Amino acid sequence: MSGLVVEMAAKALKLNIPLSVQLDLTYRCNERCIHCYLDHDDHGEMTTAEIKHLLDQMADAGVFYLTISGGEIMMRRDFFDILEHARARLFCVKLKTNGVLIREKEARRLRELGVESIQISIYSHRAEVHDAITKLPGSLRQSIEAVRLLRSQGLLVRLANVLMVQNATDYRGVQALAAELDAKFTIDPTITPMMDGDRSILSLNVDQAALQNVFRDQALVGNVEEFCAPPPGVDEDALDMLPCSAGHTACYVSPYGDVYPCVQFPLPSGNVRRTKFVDIWRDSPQLKEVRSITLRDMPSCSQCTHGATCTRCPGLAYLEGNMRGPSSQDCEKSYARTGIPSENYKARHSSPESFSSPKLVQIQGLQPAEHALAAHVVSGGASA
Amino acid sequence: MKNHQYVTRSTAIAARALGDETMVMSATNSTLFTLDEVASVIWAAADGVTPLEEIVVNKICAQYDIAPGTALQDAQTLVEQLAGHGILLLSDQPLVPSSVSRKEAR
Amino acid sequence: MAADFPAQEDDLPSVTAATQARSVVVEIGNLPIRLRCGSPDFIRQIHERYAGYVSSSDKAKFEFEIELAPHGTLSGDEDARVTWDSGRWLMERGDFRAEWNPSTDKGHIHQTRSPYSLDSVLRIVHTLLLARDGGFLLHASSAIRNGRAFLFSGVSGAGKTTMVRLAPPDAALLTDEISYVVRQDGRYSAVGTPFFGELARVGENLRAPIEVLYLLAKGPENKIEPIDGADAVRGLLGNILFFARDPEFVKMVFDAALDFAARVPVRRLTFVPNSFVWELIV
Repeated sequence: MSGLVVEMAAKALKLNIPLSVQLDLTYRCNERCIHCYLDHDDHGEMTTAEIKHLLDQMADAGVFYLTISGGEIMMRRDFFDILEHARARLFCVKLKTNGVLIREKEARRLRELGVESIQISIYSHRAEVHDAITKLPGSLRQSIEAVRLLRSQGLLVRLANVLMVQNATDYRGVQALAAELDAKFTIDPTITPMMDGDRSILSLNVDQAALQNVFRDQALVGNVEEFCAPPPGVDEDALDMLPCSAGHTACYVSPYGDVYPCVQFPLPSGNVRRTKFVDIWRDSPQLKEVRSITLRDMPSCSQCTHGATCTRCPGLAYLEGNMRGPSSQDCEKSYARTGIPSENYKARHSSPESFSSPKLVQIQGLQPAEHALAAHVVSGGASA
Repeated sequence: MKNHQYVTRSTAIAARALGDETMVMSATNSTLFTLDEVASVIWAAADGVTPLEEIVVNKICAQYDIAPGTALQDAQTLVEQLAGHGILLLSDQPLVPSSVSRKEAR
Repeated sequence: MAADFPAQEDDLPSVTAATQARSVVVEIGNLPIRLRCGSPDFIRQIHERYAGYVSSSDKAKFEFEIELAPHGTLSGDEDARVTWDSGRWLMERGDFRAEWNPSTDKGHIHQTRSPYSLDSVLRIVHTLLLARDGGFLLHASSAIRNGRAFLFSGVSGAGKTTMVRLAPPDAALLTDEISYVVRQDGRYSAVGTPFFGELARVGENLRAPIEVLYLLAKGPENKIEPIDGADAVRGLLGNILFFARDPEFVKMVFDAALDFAARVPVRRLTFVPNSFVWELIV
């Protein structure tokens, strides 16, 4: 990241300004990706007027980076209307789309409107794999065509490849495809649990062996030795670290007006249909609570050797049941990266009895040290 | 008689005030700029119809206690720099606002 | 209908039995509640989240059938609505709908898979269950020292978490956020719960008689002051978890607060946030 970008982010943090917002326009989609964490039914999306009003409020609150996503954004008939309004309010707009609905006309309009970049999900260079994931026959061909059209307009395009069991061996093919199309490439090895807490889709996550391969691929991570180096551990300064920008300089708004710290951190923090955006940002008790959490406030992670260098997503920790607890998916990644397991990783991978029902603890006399140990063993998945 | 100089914010940009500074990003190549307090004042006043000297005299000299000569020279350098990056347009005729393809809310 | 989980007294259940379980008994405050659900994954989630409070006993007085909504809208910062209707308690929020029949001790919950939904439903159910015997849930942290329980009550930010953080190593933490107060034979005890606040730690599954309830205040010095009857009841009522708008229930809660204040010392604790305050307590 450039020095200026970092500087501006630091300033926004100090002034408590929501510099970046992701706004999902709809959860409806023309694809049905098997790994998607959304409920695709329309439960009452915001209207065009509501969205424009929200954009005005965001601009006034200091939002600069606006990521527009969904669902499939172009399923909204008012998509370009909304986009024009966003650009009139001078947001730096990034789009996420599958591109299936982009033709010449749309590509041209996107260039005219000065969209900063477009991210398109590509799950494989092979149609049979990609289309089986999106459940839309012909979708790979259409998405690639969209990339070509956008690139011919001179727009910045990024191919995003979510890694899962079904496409684990194809990411190099997608990377090559990106090079061929003169687009950027990014890989995401995380399957996000469903927003309502359903964790069954996590079975799509690739296993340790596959993760280890990805993390040792120089074409993806650069300097492998550096990337996979053992962690330096946690010192006094590290304890004051903030987990990420969610709730600090960034947040998310759903198609129904719900505000969350992040799309992957669906802690209900207010609704813009009831409360002004800036009032939610400043005064929401939930956002304030999220802002108060540093590494020091995480019982497991502050004691973990990976504490200062883990990719821990607080949203994934929240979805797991404790926003101050570990994110087990990130424990998996830290282990795959460095070969050093966290305590949480060890607890989850030890004998099957570790999660089955322990006995109730009966208090007799006081044996403090034993109690502490019992409490640790007994709490299994929750942090001790 | 001296030519007036007119300055207009480009619309091929993204911009937002951040504290007393302004962030501006070029839509053509994603380069990010920040304008300090004084530059931000000029930027905000760059409506295409107010001559640069007027902007400098009315908004800069009075507020910031800078001599008009120095202020104008600095402003000149600034706007040429920004024009070079494509985020400001310079002309010696006023630019009619409707020639800009979208309404500017701010 | 799911098969019953086989009763096993002393052995830990086998792996296969655990992975196919369609019910689990969660026991908080001596109220064993059997939760049945068609999804073994969800049952496993419950095992993990309430570890320490999952009973290996087969016996449960109360039973709830959980039906998982295919997908739910998450609640905002809404409160739950709890009402009494034709012999049942009805509980509703954006992410769950539940009902409980106190004469059959059976209920039904329709909720999203979020662990937070079940937490909320259980707390409401416990409030209703405890109330029958004069118990209640309190916005308070609690810890046990020398076999006696100490409660620290106050609103968010008053110092509940701080008090238990400062406790000496021989104190056992019950909770830093929501205390369970149970009444038995005219005496009040505090029991551990799996519900935590900022401390982010599950409380120990212990029980002890309540020695004192402290209402918290921050100040320049550590001191404990008595609080007289009416103020004590007022302080207590302000911190009791209270959901239902039913007049009879309101009266039960009020009576409980009066009785508690008459039997258990209620004092104001002003404290400087360092560990010396615990020397005053016990």
